[in-house]
Amino acid sequence: MRLDTTALGTFHEMAREGAGIAAGRLTGIAEVEARVGITKLNFVRGNEIRKELAAGGEKVAVRVELSGAIEGHSMVVFDADSARRVLETLLGEEFDDTAPAVADGEDAAVDATGTDAGADAAAPAEFDELSQSAMEEVGQIINSGFVDGWADVLETAIDMTTPQFVQGTDPEPFLDGIDTTPGEEDMAIMFRSQIEAVGEAIGFTHYLFPDHDDFADLLDRLRETEGIEYDKLVGFDRMAQRGAEEVADNISTMTGFDTEIELRRLNFVPMAAIPQELGNRQLIAVAFEFEGTPSGYLVFCFEEESAATVVEGMLPSAPDDAFGEMGQSAIKELSNIMASGFLDGWANVLDTNIDHTPPEYSHDLGAAVMDPIVLQFGDSQEFAFVFDTHVQAAERGFDVEIYAIPDEDDLERALSQLDVDRIDDEPIEADFPIDEA
Amino acid sequence: MKTYGSEPGAPTPQQVQVGISEFVVTDADTTLKSYGLGSCLAVALYDDQAEVGGLAHVMLPSGDEAGSEPTNPGKFADTAIRALLRRMVEEGATYTDVEAKIAGGSDMFEFESFGEGVGIRNVEAAKSELEKLGVPLVAEDVGGKKGRTVEFNATTGVLTITVADGEVDDGEGAGVTEL
Repeated sequence: MRLDTTALGTFHEMAREGAGIAAGRLTGIAEVEARVGITKLNFVRGNEIRKELAAGGEKVAVRVELSGAIEGHSMVVFDADSARRVLETLLGEEFDDTAPAVADGEDAAVDATGTDAGADAAAPAEFDELSQSAMEEVGQIINSGFVDGWADVLETAIDMTTPQFVQGTDPEPFLDGIDTTPGEEDMAIMFRSQIEAVGEAIGFTHYLFPDHDDFADLLDRLRETEGIEYDKLVGFDRMAQRGAEEVADNISTMTGFDTEIELRRLNFVPMAAIPQELGNRQLIAVAFEFEGTPSGYLVFCFEEESAATVVEGMLPSAPDDAFGEMGQSAIKELSNIMASGFLDGWANVLDTNIDHTPPEYSHDLGAAVMDPIVLQFGDSQEFAFVFDTHVQAAERGFDVEIYAIPDEDDLERALSQLDVDRIDDEPIEADFPIDEA
Repeated sequence: MKTYGSEPGAPTPQQVQVGISEFVVTDADTTLKSYGLGSCLAVALYDDQAEVGGLAHVMLPSGDEAGSEPTNPGKFADTAIRALLRRMVEEGATYTDVEAKIAGGSDMFEFESFGEGVGIRNVEAAKSELEKLGVPLVAEDVGGKKGRTVEFNATTGVLTITVADGEVDDGEGAGVTEL
């Protein structure tokens, strides 16, 4: 099974179109303006899907089983807060929002095991029968939007079962009975989309668990170039992991902070979505250009508060202006070391050399910092693989977001040359923490 | 399909976000907004007699140079300006009454590979296309090393530019400018 950026680009189009269809239908039923926000493809291992479903507290999902051109399952997952926003929007005053926002862990865990499709099983008070049925309807609209998008591309029909409402704090109820979920170490492609309604972003994740053979056929139909072996996607994951680990270690060494990797994710997004994601937030950004296999850009983004924390952690005494000359130089120094670590991590996985420029500092709006970098890719590249990493020292109130945007052709070349067997000889599991919510 | 109750509340003046490579034309009382322009350029065209205006959030200088007719005219300064103008005339604007304002085109970083700066190239491309089409450029806030957020009132032609307050040592002030 092989894939290329054309196939992935088509997947992205389908996901965005699906989200568009869904947003249009939501506008219809809720009489509020819903529009599509950012849509991303993610590449993840099976075990990370499970971790993700386990992290961040209670979740609500609506899933359907597919048959026809694609066999498998389609599932739309909302975190409980997003679900509440959906319900408030849809039901207005009928929605009982007096219940606590998130059920406490113990209760929710008990509820999760007993919750089933539209059954009368005891659900936490906040999702009463009306809420469940409204969520089912929303989930159905989104699932069917996506499935219609896929069916259009395949020029065929995909059938769906009736929606099943699932609620829980651990992966089991969500994955229960789905035999096409990727194995612990298998890579899966996931769709992450946002629909914005009444000024609020309603984020959800769309999981598609297709039958392996169907998926391989689909990739073959969409692919225009030789592309890379699907199994080499594991190299992506390893790059993301190594890069993040190096950064976390560097920060601990330089500042004495106890760091953890909050998030590491590989996204496949349209170029224009990269600045959009950072948006109107005021950030301290330190950018690097890197050269080698692959080449590209690497940007460290700190919230102002976090940058000030770094400055305090690195200098013997806190300067009057955290972002004055001394502060800037401390932030650049830390970023420089993190950049070397991050790119060394990549170079080790890919068995290549990657050099980087000295740091460029900016204190400005996130989108404004990122758009010049996106522009450098010019008209040659419509989509980018963005390595999205988030390292934090929770106790110190510090976090840093890292965006690595490699040149697509370089990355494809690097991955093609990658010896997957060599990767598999290296330790598989690192200390990617699970949020024990 | 069931119909649920709509959100109550007073209608607020509509605001439409114009993302990278997008352009929007309107004859309604709408504010068009592009946030976080770095090297990207906001091109605002309006005919305040006909009360038709449009905003483009362009990314690159020249679609003509990029070769065949681009599928996404909003991406390039030259093709976006032509597309805006065409759409505005369709919406009732008089070609000869249309005026232009531009903002953005900063050069945030000084990497060697960035050359003379894509921000400046966007500004130059927009100016040259406006001149070619005979559309007067009546105001601009371009260049420098700062990000800008713009809001454009399409019917009055007022372009409001907000600059972040994070500037440190380049002497460029923070604040709000109306063009």
